Amino acid sequence: MTLLTVDNVSRHFGSLIAVDDISMTVAPGELRAVIGPNGAGKTTFFNMISGFLIPTSGRIIFDGEDITRLLPARRVWRGIARTFQITEVFPELTIRENLRIAVESASGFRLRLWQTSEEDRKVRQRVDELLEMSGLGQKAHRLVGELAHGDQRANEIMMALALRPRLLLLDEPTAGMGDQETYDITQLIRKLHRDQKLTIVLIEHDMRVVFHLADRIMVLAEGKMLAEGTPKEIAANEAVQAAYLGKAAA
Amino acid sequence: MLQLLLFNVTNGLIIGAFYVLMALGLSLILNLSNVINFAHGGFLVVGGYIAYTITPYVGFWGALLIAPPLTAIIGLLAERVLIRPLYGRDPLYSLLLTFGLAFIFEDGTRFIWGAQGKPVTVPAVLAQPLSYEFFFITGYRLFMVAMVVVAVAVLFVLLRYTRLGIRIRAGTLDLETVSALGVNVRTLRSLNFAVGIFLAGLSGVLAAGQLGLEPTMGSGLLMPSFIAIIVGGVGSLTGTLLGGLLIGVASGITAVFLPAASEAIMYVLMAVVLLIRPRGLLGEEGMMT
Amino acid sequence: MSDQYDARKLLALACIWAALLLAPYWMPPLGGYTALGTRVLVLGLAAMSLNFLLGFTGVLSFGHAAYFGLGAYGAGLSLKFLAASSPLALLMGMLLGGVAGALLGTLIVRRRGVYFAMVTIAFGQVFYYIAFQWSSLTGGDDGLRGFSRQPLDFGLFKIDILSNADYFYYFVLFCFALIVAIMSFILRSPFGRTMLAIRENERRARFLGIAIERHIWIVFTLSCFFIGFAGALYALLNNFADPRGLHYSQSGDFVMMAVMGGMRSFWGPLLGAAVFVVLQDYLSSVTVNWMSFVGLLFVLVVLFFPRGLLGMVRRKLAS
Repeated sequence: MTLLTVDNVSRHFGSLIAVDDISMTVAPGELRAVIGPNGAGKTTFFNMISGFLIPTSGRIIFDGEDITRLLPARRVWRGIARTFQITEVFPELTIRENLRIAVESASGFRLRLWQTSEEDRKVRQRVDELLEMSGLGQKAHRLVGELAHGDQRANEIMMALALRPRLLLLDEPTAGMGDQETYDITQLIRKLHRDQKLTIVLIEHDMRVVFHLADRIMVLAEGKMLAEGTPKEIAANEAVQAAYLGKAAA
Repeated sequence: MLQLLLFNVTNGLIIGAFYVLMALGLSLILNLSNVINFAHGGFLVVGGYIAYTITPYVGFWGALLIAPPLTAIIGLLAERVLIRPLYGRDPLYSLLLTFGLAFIFEDGTRFIWGAQGKPVTVPAVLAQPLSYEFFFITGYRLFMVAMVVVAVAVLFVLLRYTRLGIRIRAGTLDLETVSALGVNVRTLRSLNFAVGIFLAGLSGVLAAGQLGLEPTMGSGLLMPSFIAIIVGGVGSLTGTLLGGLLIGVASGITAVFLPAASEAIMYVLMAVVLLIRPRGLLGEEGMMT
Repeated sequence: MSDQYDARKLLALACIWAALLLAPYWMPPLGGYTALGTRVLVLGLAAMSLNFLLGFTGVLSFGHAAYFGLGAYGAGLSLKFLAASSPLALLMGMLLGGVAGALLGTLIVRRRGVYFAMVTIAFGQVFYYIAFQWSSLTGGDDGLRGFSRQPLDFGLFKIDILSNADYFYYFVLFCFALIVAIMSFILRSPFGRTMLAIRENERRARFLGIAIERHIWIVFTLSCFFIGFAGALYALLNNFADPRGLHYSQSGDFVMMAVMGGMRSFWGPLLGAAVFVVLQDYLSSVTVNWMSFVGLLFVLVVLFFPRGLLGMVRRKLAS
């Protein structure tokens, strides 16, 4: 029983082959990590799953539905949410406002000109829930653009969560973070994975995060899949070790 | 009938050639620096007036040689001082700035040279009509087309084979990579701007001989350039070339059947292209921002 | 744009409305005159309508004067050929501007960024061109004349907004208040928050499931209705519709008003309009080369005061 099936997907940019015939199946509730050196095609791979790019060949099937050519906004409604390598949030609005927009969008309120006080209450409640989950409650009134990187990222993840996704795609969530922030984000992701029973696919460079969180790992190199398996298997895989893990293996 | 049509198509091509010259300069600046140079028409006018001023001393040919580079230098100054600070910011600001510049140019030329139109004399050798049957083909108009062809050819060579040209083209596609390769992006933008303004100045000199000179002519010529770029396609110079010729020809043909609509047809063409193929005829996908 | 009802904000709001309500009384002593105030209101409304799109949704439209001008011509033509009714003229003007915006909007929202701006300018010029060419209807270069605003007839009593400048001012203020209330309402709603989302980060908005193009089209159309209404008011003010009001340089003026006053604030464009109108009036009376000065103003504001007057005030208050 799989939630996401990526079926022999490739992406060409002219003569440049960014992703070459990759297949992946993700079971519900799984946390899958995608790793590999820079330029391995990880973000392109992600972009195809989230709808930012359309594969040159192959299919993507989510919960039984072929979503290969579906628009990004539509995939959100199917239950796929993502975060980006460079945190994409609303910098000149407060955390609370950021989350509020996300919740309202999820509730289908984007075009509404008014809402009943009951609806308003529900939105506020949900925002408070998300704030508590992430521990951002104290900073809710501050402008996101002024916050530390870790908090911005947490905000972004919670915005994705507001959409009640069934699949969460995280593109290098700890990129550019120091040790403490990395730890906090890792804990947040772990909590979300366990408590919300979310299916998560994440791209990561930081091996500590990968081995701490992942149920299964997929290794990409030069657009192709190099290896796939449990953290133990990957750690033991000589080809992977030699080329990419080096001394960072936990 | 066929002869009349041919007549007007040729006429249209001649007009189109002129639009091409203007539009190419505008397109160059737009593609690399993401700046809509509202002052392009202003630079055209400045180029024309400079030519007018120096013609008594160096003759028409001298003016043709000197005015465009001089205009380009003014452009370089404007870019360095006024536009460069705005590159990182919202494109709104560079728009407003060039807008303001256009005002300053128009009023400035009015202030220096007066509001009256200035007649510009063209060497007698060019003023002759070459054929009494096709009376619109004066030597001057053919000369203008010849100049455009030369300018486009030189531009093409510049972009294809010189280092500057290659960098401009690469920069249009991916400025970050180009800068990572060690190219000074700011200088590149300035030089690119100068080339664009050179073309504007050249257009001004040529236009002066054809239309005479007056301070407000710049803005009138700006619109066809815009439309040429929109029709031809975003990010593509060849597209701009095509677009300019297309609207010229469309204008010429319409003049046969519905003279009053010969200017309107440009806008109709633009609307049609936007409906059917929003990125323009030769535009590239993903150049939406 | 938070929901907090700061005491400061309420006070500022009260001051603004006090100033607007009492304008016919404090303007003359300062060397102004009521019609100037009316003019500021109308152009301010136009700038605020544009800012609905520009400052709050982050969409760069540089051809909005076209819909302003259409509003003016719509009102004038209505008075000339339909009925001697000011409210009807306003309605027709608003409809003309709004419907044109709705139709063209479908073509325009397919582009983005500077290309969007180019297309808005080009389309704006179409109407300028039509106004010039179709002179049998529009009066061509001379503009549309031969109409005037009609006194308001409520059956039992009349309000003579034609000959009484003060009455007309209050009429315009009433209309202004109506539109401003609508705008404010929209901005405070979920719809308004989605506008902000698009401005702040289009990509994120898209990945929150927001249909960007459709949303922008709606905002574009709304702003065209509002600015068409402003244009209609302008025609009533001048008893005249000017083809130059459709030219992209008029659009540039509106953008400048919004920027000068402060794009990120609701009342900024009104302030910008006030400064711009007064400045332009003054300059054109003292020098023939006022155009250069206006151009210079553009350059200076962009280089040194991009956040506008209210933007600077906010900075000062925040620090």
